[in-house]
Amino acid sequence: MGLESVIVISLMLKVRLIPVLLLKKGRMVKPIRFGEGGERDVGWPITTAQIYDSQDADELVFLDIEAGKQGRGFLLDTLEKVAEKCFVPVTAGGGVATLEDFRELLKAGADKVSINTAAMERPELIREAANKFGSQCVVVSIDVRETAPGHYEVFTSGGKNPTGLEVAVWAKQAAELGAGEILLTSIDKEGTMAGYDLELIKKVSDAVKIPVIANGGAGNRQHFVEAVNIGRASAVAASSVFHFSDSNLTQVKSYIFNAKVAIRPI
Amino acid sequence: MVVIIDYGMGNLFSVKNALEAIGVEAKISNEPDDLRRAEQIILPGVGAFPDGMKNLKNLDIIPILEEEVLEKKKPFLGICLGAQLLATQGEEHQLTDGLGWIKGRVRRFQVDESKFRIPHIGWNDVFPKKDNILFKNVHPPIFYFVHSYHLVPEDQSVIVATSEYGETFAAALQKENIFGVQFHPEKSQKNGLRILENFLAYKKL
Amino acid sequence: MADFSHTRILNNLRRCTRCTLTETWETIVFDDEGVCNICRASEYKKTKVDWGARRQQLLDLANEHRGKGTYDCIVPFSGGKDSTFTLWYVVTQLKLKPLVVSFDHSFYRPRTIENNERTQRKLGVDFMKFRTDWGVVRKTMLESLKRKGDFEWHCHVGGMVYPMQIAVKFKIPLVFWGEPSAEYTAYYTYEEIEEVDERRNSRANNLGITAEDMFGFLGGAVTMRDLEPYVYPSLKELRSIGIKSFCLGSFIPWDVKKNYEIIHKELDWQGDQVEGVPPQYPYEKIEYQIQGPRDYLKFIKRGFARTTHLTSIDIRNGRMTREEAAKLIEKYEGKRPPSLDYLLPILGIDEAEFRKIAIAQAIPPYKHDFTNEQSDEPLWDMKLWDWNP
Repeated sequence: MGLESVIVISLMLKVRLIPVLLLKKGRMVKPIRFGEGGERDVGWPITTAQIYDSQDADELVFLDIEAGKQGRGFLLDTLEKVAEKCFVPVTAGGGVATLEDFRELLKAGADKVSINTAAMERPELIREAANKFGSQCVVVSIDVRETAPGHYEVFTSGGKNPTGLEVAVWAKQAAELGAGEILLTSIDKEGTMAGYDLELIKKVSDAVKIPVIANGGAGNRQHFVEAVNIGRASAVAASSVFHFSDSNLTQVKSYIFNAKVAIRPI
Repeated sequence: MVVIIDYGMGNLFSVKNALEAIGVEAKISNEPDDLRRAEQIILPGVGAFPDGMKNLKNLDIIPILEEEVLEKKKPFLGICLGAQLLATQGEEHQLTDGLGWIKGRVRRFQVDESKFRIPHIGWNDVFPKKDNILFKNVHPPIFYFVHSYHLVPEDQSVIVATSEYGETFAAALQKENIFGVQFHPEKSQKNGLRILENFLAYKKL
Repeated sequence: MADFSHTRILNNLRRCTRCTLTETWETIVFDDEGVCNICRASEYKKTKVDWGARRQQLLDLANEHRGKGTYDCIVPFSGGKDSTFTLWYVVTQLKLKPLVVSFDHSFYRPRTIENNERTQRKLGVDFMKFRTDWGVVRKTMLESLKRKGDFEWHCHVGGMVYPMQIAVKFKIPLVFWGEPSAEYTAYYTYEEIEEVDERRNSRANNLGITAEDMFGFLGGAVTMRDLEPYVYPSLKELRSIGIKSFCLGSFIPWDVKKNYEIIHKELDWQGDQVEGVPPQYPYEKIEYQIQGPRDYLKFIKRGFARTTHLTSIDIRNGRMTREEAAKLIEKYEGKRPPSLDYLLPILGIDEAEFRKIAIAQAIPPYKHDFTNEQSDEPLWDMKLWDWNP
C-alpha cells in the first residue's frame, strides 16, 4: 500500500495466501472431491502462475496429478518457465518418491517439494530428504477424509487408498521425522467451495509445531479468515475459488486484511 | 560480471533469473578464474550449515574468496544459508566452523515453539536501519523467509535490519563490502528485486 | 467487534465513512477511522504528488517521441469520456500525432458512434477500429460469466491487448492510456507512474483468464487463431520496440467532471442516458449497450452499483456530501435494467439462469434479495439495436 496512513497491523509473520495449480495433460484442472465430483479445465498453468504472481501470491503450489513420465515432464517444464518470470516461492509435488525426484524438482525451480504417498509407504524418506536438502524444503502433503464423525483418516494414492491412520498421528510422525510443513487437504471439501474443514485444520495445527497449510474447500473470502482464526492455519491454500468466482488474490487479501488478520498488504 | 557461486546448495537459477529480470547477466560458477573476474559475488544457499561448509571446502575456493572479498573488497552478498556461512560457527546438527568473516554464531530460534512454529516460513516485516543502501526505495520492507537458524553477530553494529519472530533477529547484515540477508530477495517479488538492484549499485569506496 | 451500522446505505454493507464505497469493493481496505484506501489515495493525489514534476516528465516524454516515425504514439480509444479526453489532450496539448486504436467490443450505442465521428473530424486523426468475430465474442461472454460472474472478458482484454499488438506491429513505442486505476481501486497507487503492461493486465484486467486459458475452457469451440487478438505480446517483442505504455492520469491530475466539460465544449461530445445512473452524470459509461446489466450484476454480487462509484468520486472532489450521495444511491441503485433482455439471448441463457450464476458469485457478506425489485427506465436507443443475436 505504501500510503502514509497505513495501519499498523501487528507487525509479525504474515499468513500466506497460496493458490494451488493442479497439472494434468498439459493443462490445469480442478477436480471436485479428488475427481468424484468431476474435473474441469481451468487453464494454462504458466500464464496463470504469472497472473497469481502479479496479484502478489505469497507462494505457489504446483501438483502433478497425471502420474507417470509425461506428467513429470510437464511439471518440470512448467517450473522452469515459471521460474523465469515469477520471483515467489514455489512448492512442487506429485508422485515424488525418491531423493532424485527432489533434486530434479529443486533444480527446475521449486523451493520446496511435497511428498505424500511415498512418505507414508516409507516414512524414512522424510528424514532423508530433510537431512539432504533441509527441513524447510520438505512439505508433507496429507489428504484426509472424515470417515466417521470427528474421525479423520489419511488416504494415499490420490485419495483412493485408505491407510487406517488417524491424521494427527501421522502429522506428528511426519513432523518428528523432519518435515518442514504440512499441506493438509480435505478430500471431502475439495472443489466444493463450501468452506474449509475447520475441525480438521484445528486438529492438525494443535498436534504439531510446524506450519500447517490448510487446503480444500475455500469458496469465499470469509472462509480464509475462518481457517486462520478458528483452524489456526499458518497458510491458506485454495484453487477453485480463484477459478470459479469473481475473487482474485488481491481482493481476497484486502478482505483478509480488513478482517484484521496479518497478511501482506496489497 | 556477477558470479553466483555454485556449491551444490540451493536455488542458483532463481537468483540468476532474478538478476536477468533486472537486466543483469550473471554467471553460475565455482571456477577460480570466474571468481577473479567477477565484479560482484553472490553466495545463495538452501540447506544445512555443515553441508554448506563441506561443499565450499571441497571446491577449494575459500582461499580465493578470501582474497577477492576480504582483501580486494569485492561486493559480496550471502543469501539465507549463504549469509549464515559468514559466521564464525554454526550450531545446526553439530558445531561447525563457518567462514568467520562476520564474528558470531548461527543458532536456532529460541522461542516458544507452540506459539512460533519453526521453521520460520513466510513473509515477515523487516526493520531496516535508516538510510541503509540495501533497502533504498523498498516499500514496504516485507520479505520471504524460510529458515530455522539465524546468525547472531558478536558486534551488533553489523546488523543493518532486524525482524521479529518470537525474538528479534538479524534480517540483514553488512560489514563494509560484505552483505548478508537472511530472507530470499529472489523470492520476494518486486521488493526483493530491488534489494538485488541496490546491492549491485554498491560501489566499493 | 466494532459496529459499522452507521455507515450503511440502502443495505447492510459496511461503507467508507467518507465516501460511499462498500466493504465488497475490489481492493478496499478501511483504516482506523473507517476511511477507505481509495479516499486516502485521493488525499495523496491532492497533497503529495508533485504534479509540476510529473507534467515535466510528460512533456519530456512527448518531446522524445515527437516526429520520430509516422505516428508519435498510440491512443487506445473507446469513445468514452476518458479516452476521448486523452485523445484531445494528446493532439491539442501535447501536439503529438497519434494512431488511434479502437477495439470494438460489438456493443456500441448510436450516440457514441456519432461522438466518435465528430471527434475524428474535429481533431483530424488516423483512426483504426477492430472488431472480433461475433460468434467467438458470444462464447467468451458466456464462459467468463459462468466462471467469474463477469461477461465482459473480451472487452476488458481486447481493449488492453489489441492496442499493444498494434504498437508492436507498427513499431510505435509510446502508448497513452487515460485514467489511472488508482482513481478507483488500490491495485496501484498514486506514488508511481502507472505502467499499463502485462502485469497490469494480469493483476487487474483479464479476470485471471488469458487467451490460452479461454481456449482450453471452450474445448474446441474456438481455435487459438480466433483468440489471437486477445494474446498479450511478449515482453521480448515489447522491449524490442522500447515500449512506454502509461496512463495520462499519472502525469496530470484526473478530474472526470472537468475533463467532460472540456470535451463537451471542444469536441461537442454528448452524454447519454445510462441505466442505473443519475441524470447528473450524463458522461458516464455511455458507450456500452449492456452497461446496465454489467452494473446490475455487480449489485447482485456485491451490493453496490454505478451510483456508489460516481458519488464517491464527487465526494472526494468536494462536489457532494455523503448525505446527498446516500439519497442518490437509494433512488437509483438496484433496479433491473431493461437491456438485460437484449443480453440474455446473446448469452443463450434465461433470466433464472442469469440470476443463479450471479448469486453463486456473491461476495460476502452481501446477500442479494430479488423481492420488490423495480425495473429501470428503458434506454431511448434500445429500439434501434439489432435484436437478432
